[in-house]
Amino acid sequence: MKLAALVVLVGCGAGAITPSQTTALPAHQTRMIDTTPKERRRMVSPEVYLRAYLTWFGGLVPLDVQNRARPKGLFDAWDDYLSALGLPDYKTDLPRQTQSNTLMLATLGRLGEALCARAAEHDLHGGKTPLDQRVVFAFDLDGADSDETFMDRFDVLHRTFLGYPAKLAPGERVTKFHALWTDVAARHAKAKNPLTADETAWVAVCTALVQHPEAELY
Amino acid sequence: MQRRTFLQLVGAGSAALAARPLFAATQKAPADQFFIFVHASGGWDVTLWADPRNEKKGLVDPASTENTDLAPLSHWKSTKLEGDVETFTILEAGALRFGPGIGDLIDLHDRLTVVNGLAMNTVSHPDGTAFSCTGRHLAGGRSPASSIDVAITNELGTAQLLPDVAIGFPSAYIGDHLDRRAIPLRIANAGVMAKSLARSDAYLKDDDRAAITALLAEESHDLAGRSVFPETFERLASQEESLPHLLGNELKAAFTPQALQAAYPQFDYKVKNIGGGILGAAFAVEAMKRNLIRTIGFSLGGLDTHNQNYKQQAHTQQELFGTISTLVKLLDATPHPTRNGHKLADSTHILVFSDFCRTPQINLSGGRDHYPNNSVLVISPRFVSGKTFGKTDFEQVLPADAGLNFSDGARPIAPPDLLATFLSAFAIEPRKYLRDGEVVKAMLR
Repeated sequence: MKLAALVVLVGCGAGAITPSQTTALPAHQTRMIDTTPKERRRMVSPEVYLRAYLTWFGGLVPLDVQNRARPKGLFDAWDDYLSALGLPDYKTDLPRQTQSNTLMLATLGRLGEALCARAAEHDLHGGKTPLDQRVVFAFDLDGADSDETFMDRFDVLHRTFLGYPAKLAPGERVTKFHALWTDVAARHAKAKNPLTADETAWVAVCTALVQHPEAELY
Repeated sequence: MQRRTFLQLVGAGSAALAARPLFAATQKAPADQFFIFVHASGGWDVTLWADPRNEKKGLVDPASTENTDLAPLSHWKSTKLEGDVETFTILEAGALRFGPGIGDLIDLHDRLTVVNGLAMNTVSHPDGTAFSCTGRHLAGGRSPASSIDVAITNELGTAQLLPDVAIGFPSAYIGDHLDRRAIPLRIANAGVMAKSLARSDAYLKDDDRAAITALLAEESHDLAGRSVFPETFERLASQEESLPHLLGNELKAAFTPQALQAAYPQFDYKVKNIGGGILGAAFAVEAMKRNLIRTIGFSLGGLDTHNQNYKQQAHTQQELFGTISTLVKLLDATPHPTRNGHKLADSTHILVFSDFCRTPQINLSGGRDHYPNNSVLVISPRFVSGKTFGKTDFEQVLPADAGLNFSDGARPIAPPDLLATFLSAFAIEPRKYLRDGEVVKAMLR
């Protein structure tokens, strides 16, 4: 009896199920994504630019920036620059400016230079500030100067101000900035300066990056 | 002559005539002229200067000893109004008639062109200001057209280092068809210019800054070459390229408020009512003398007298026109930077306008409110001077038919007409910048 039941079970067992062959789905219409820009680049609004400045240089409030930047004639007061920076000035009924102009660039340059010089004093001069407490120049100036060491240091600033690695920058940007660094360092080699020649050269690189077209436009 | 040849000649002649623009330039646009635009902000009382009223007629409450502080006025001559109240005597100067607000400028009456009865169609400060300098009313709070200074800079001034400086002046740069160098440098006061250009030598030197701006200009050109829309990068590049010239030490020193006041002590910098705009006039002379600018606009304010402050309206006007008078005299004495033997005044064209004018009646607060009429002052060798154009009705001081045979019939002059005439005086095609407006040839020499 048991044997008969076993024979019936084996006889009725289901066959192995095998998957059907996979074939590619039939092709549909292909549409390319148009990634070209549809609008020309514009100046970032002055508020955004100023906020970026304050963040880059240690999350300061405007009055702290003013106090920090003022010594040695680096800066005056925000009130002096509101209209030149493009901000609306309600005291004089001046509306927001929608285009850049030479004076605006001069003002942004003055501000950038002031903050870069102060940041270099804090971060680089004397070499006592730990790397994790530096606001902009998060690298050491120890060791010989070479293309590689410049590239590594420049990359830190490039990522900070322009938001992407320097090696992805178009053109010969690294070479051009290295030439600027070398030029300024040579000029200040024997000059009396609150900073060393190398540090002053990094101030120049920082000042250029903070006003770079890629930082001012979006 | 064969019939076919004759018809061909006639056809070619007609085509040439048809192709000729309506406002054909009759002479080459000058490249060594300077332009000063003054915004008398707040809305002036025209009955106190260009369109004087000293009788109680219709709506008109004239300025009188009851509503005006006479003490500081140099050109008020009293005449009886009613009872013990006195009003002013109208000042006759050639064909022109002025109220006491004109002050010392009356001495230059033979160089003044006055336009009265401008149809403003607005009593809003921003709208009146925009209409006066762009010829268009605001649309959604924004100016839909470029202002007169931008138009002139675009035609005649792009080669200058500072083509268009607007010191608290309501300049507007609108549209894609203009040269980027015509973008006005808008600043709140003349002192800002020196502060923005000032640099400390403690860290970087001028050579370092020149290297930085050269690098940034190169980067801008490089990015423009890779961009689908290169215009913005190109604009930045041209601005970076002009920066080293601005950052020169000599320029920075010349434009500090102290340096300007020392160089031009003729201006009264301590006047009470028109604000700090006078420094803009000194800046204008210095910048023209150095051939840095083509157009400059600045504002002189304090004319919005709704309340008891109306007592100072005539005094404020006296300060305003006194400043203009000093400015013209300085231009008379200053050599032109590029034309030997010529003075700046020979090539400088001044347009003074306000938002609108003030009501002919005095309100319950002792002041005058906004009113949709206006007057304008032009001082230019290209304009017929010593004459008034346009008029208002006697009892309401509202714009009346100017009697100028406009193509659309009898009507008052409007700001677009004046701006079109101003552009036309320098062989600039008005339709390129103005939607409306008709050239008033009678105003031009």
